[in-house]
Amino acid sequence: MEQYRDAGENLSQPNFEQVFLPHLDAAYNLARWLLRNDQDAEDAVQEAYMRAHKAFARFRGGDGKAWFMTILRNVCYTMIKKLRSQETPEPFDEEIHQTVGESEMQEAFRQKANAESLHVALEKLPEEFREIIVLHDLEGLAYKEIATVVGIPIGTVMSRLARARGRLRAEIVAAKAKESLS
Amino acid sequence: MNHDEAAKLLGPYRDGELDLATCLKLEEHLAGCPSCQQKLVAEQELVELISAETPRFKASPFLKTRIQAALREEKSSPMETSWWKHFSPTWAFSGLAIAVAVIVILAAGLFSTQRIPELDQEAVANHVRSLQVNHLMDVASTDQHTVKPWFAGKLDYSPQVVDLGPSGYPLIGGRLDVLGQRNVAAIIYQRRKHYINLFIWPSGPSALHDHLYNQNGYHVVGWAKSGMNYLAVSELGEKELKEFVGMIQDQTLDSRPGE
Repeated sequence: MEQYRDAGENLSQPNFEQVFLPHLDAAYNLARWLLRNDQDAEDAVQEAYMRAHKAFARFRGGDGKAWFMTILRNVCYTMIKKLRSQETPEPFDEEIHQTVGESEMQEAFRQKANAESLHVALEKLPEEFREIIVLHDLEGLAYKEIATVVGIPIGTVMSRLARARGRLRAEIVAAKAKESLS
Repeated sequence: MNHDEAAKLLGPYRDGELDLATCLKLEEHLAGCPSCQQKLVAEQELVELISAETPRFKASPFLKTRIQAALREEKSSPMETSWWKHFSPTWAFSGLAIAVAVIVILAAGLFSTQRIPELDQEAVANHVRSLQVNHLMDVASTDQHTVKPWFAGKLDYSPQVVDLGPSGYPLIGGRLDVLGQRNVAAIIYQRRKHYINLFIWPSGPSALHDHLYNQNGYHVVGWAKSGMNYLAVSELGEKELKEFVGMIQDQTLDSRPGE
């Protein structure tokens, strides 16, 4: 805060980059989990920064992270809609899937089973559940901040997070059961 | 509170999102309900598994450069003056300044109660030890954005780190400490040659009352705000310590900060 005071600047008009660039990793993480690939996530984050910059005059201080994440989330959902409408099913490429030997793959899977199955389970969740897990359990946002970002009441944050965790738990258990059967 | 109600609140309880009254009612039920205790443990394990095993994707440095370049192209904004040009010379005074170390202790154990004098004595002991054994800081930084992330992953809650450099109490760093058998974060401020340790931890059901405690020339000021307990300890004069506490109270937000 001292920089603003020493410069005699208006406290309500701090520097844009200074306020929002610290949220870059949090923003990228959410975008990457929602869009599920690096390129789209990077584009979404950049787009969100441009939009936030344009809207910055309307930012009245307060929770900058929640404000910015709200914008980012909107950009992500717009992209998801667009991508879905263009989606074509990917052909299964046998060559790629055969480059790794069967036994090596098994070994790699055993080593990473926990992280892998959790990653897969989280990716399988519908976006509304995935985002709330990412925002709370990975990014550490408070219920109140999530309510702002997602645009739902705190009570809904509470129940949705409970359902999301329940679904995730069920996915993990199912994956483990499958594993022990095979 | 009946069982069904309690079961629904275990998640928010684990997340530290319940108000004090609900918290107490839930704990009352929890004490006599093995099923809820088990569910709480499972909830805790799941959330720990998620945060330990799920990748947190990090933005590449190129993305940051790309965004900064794109922002610079939007010349229309007059807010693009580089803020580091205005960096205050306040730090220059720290050499002749008395160090004030504020240790913010963030406690991991949310719900144990402890008598205040014992806690104050322990805080003084921590403060003295921190000065003696050269372990005042684990992370030395005058930047609140460095100190705060440092605690992430080391504690299950996030301390608010404010910088009082412009007011003559520069932030100099932080460390982990133990207070009342909890892991806590300590944030350190400097005032001339004195340090202030400010301990911050979630108050749970045992919020500190506003109080002042003196012991062998050390002063302790305790208070609670927004679900957090604060203890400031220093050899600094009472008047200055109170001034410092006033500023901390003014600058800590009522809700959890954004980052």
